[in-house]
Amino acid sequence: MSRHHPKNTTLADFAAGMLDEGRSLVVASHLAMCGHCRTFVAALEEAGGQLLTEVAPVAMASDAAARALRVLDSEANAPRAGERKNAAMPVWQPERNTLLDYELGPWRQVAPGLHHRVVKVPPGGGTRVFMLKAAPGMKIPEHTHTGTELTCVLSGAFIHEGGRFGPGDCDDADDLDGHTPLIDGDEACICLVAMQGELKLSGLLGRLMQPFVRI
Amino acid sequence: MPTEANGIKNAADLARLIEAVAATRDREAFAALFDYFAPRIKSVLMRSNTPPAAAEELAQEAMLTVWSKAAQFDRTRAGAPAWIFTIARNLRIDAVRREQRAKVLDLESTEFLEPPQQPDDELDAGEREQRVRRAISALPDDQLKVMRLSFFEGKAHGDIALELQLPLGTVKSRIRLAMNRLRDLLGDLT
Repeated sequence: MSRHHPKNTTLADFAAGMLDEGRSLVVASHLAMCGHCRTFVAALEEAGGQLLTEVAPVAMASDAAARALRVLDSEANAPRAGERKNAAMPVWQPERNTLLDYELGPWRQVAPGLHHRVVKVPPGGGTRVFMLKAAPGMKIPEHTHTGTELTCVLSGAFIHEGGRFGPGDCDDADDLDGHTPLIDGDEACICLVAMQGELKLSGLLGRLMQPFVRI
Repeated sequence: MPTEANGIKNAADLARLIEAVAATRDREAFAALFDYFAPRIKSVLMRSNTPPAAAEELAQEAMLTVWSKAAQFDRTRAGAPAWIFTIARNLRIDAVRREQRAKVLDLESTEFLEPPQQPDDELDAGEREQRVRRAISALPDDQLKVMRLSFFEGKAHGDIALELQLPLGTVKSRIRLAMNRLRDLLGDLT
């Protein structure tokens, strides 16, 4: 059970379809492991539906419904192009090279005990998405960011000033938050991160890592 | 919900129409759904600055998706308006991202690691609808207004600030207050 959730405004932007693709992926990873937030998003969608029934209608073209029925006739019952098929799988399966159908780049060591891999989300909204894997006991270099950073723990755990973050927990950080996460327990910690703006690192590890996260 | 010309009085009537489309490919039911939802979807899209012709096309596309996905509708999981809201939302995301290879995270289709755990989750759809309605109507007017513009109409915070002639910080804090309030009000739901 997750104890750290995205901000309610982040969940609202997700439910409204206003988050960029990278941040949506991180929120979806959290939702996959958090029934509470899933229920909140469903309630927001219910709210969206209610607002939809209340909005003043704008007339469609006079033959719009007939046109739709003609399209249905011409397609018979064939499945419509571009329809998504169900992806019945958990979000994170370590043996796979995909995450929710997004292709993953290879793990690259960026510092002793620290690996980084790109999540191939199409560019948009200036957000970069990557996974970080940190060895047990490791301290991630102190960093701040110029934009926002949204993180979901996929496995393992870390601790920072905000508490302990285990699988499914989400760290929804503003540009002002600076932190120094420490990997907790004897398992490597794998996180999914969507980052806007630039990461500013300090210390030796930071300088080693900087070129990679600037990709 | 006011009664419509075609006898639609509430969300349950809309749910029955979707179920008729799913069960028997009922064209009359589809036409009734079309008449009800297409002009509303078009309206919302135009409010979020989609040009009228594109809004008309997306509303068409949304209704064709309703036809093809009708069998996936489950009134115990989402009310009919909420289900159609998510279809229209996903199409809008697709349209925005088309350049960058469309992909929508379809939560409905993912088998989740953690199943919904509380039996209260299985709330009767009518009850959930009522509670969400009460929560929305409990929001102060100034919060409801920014929530409608931001969450529902998809306007940028800066545009809302211009439209309401408010400082950007005030808009942001009202949205934050509205969403936190909703979460509190729906607390035992979530």
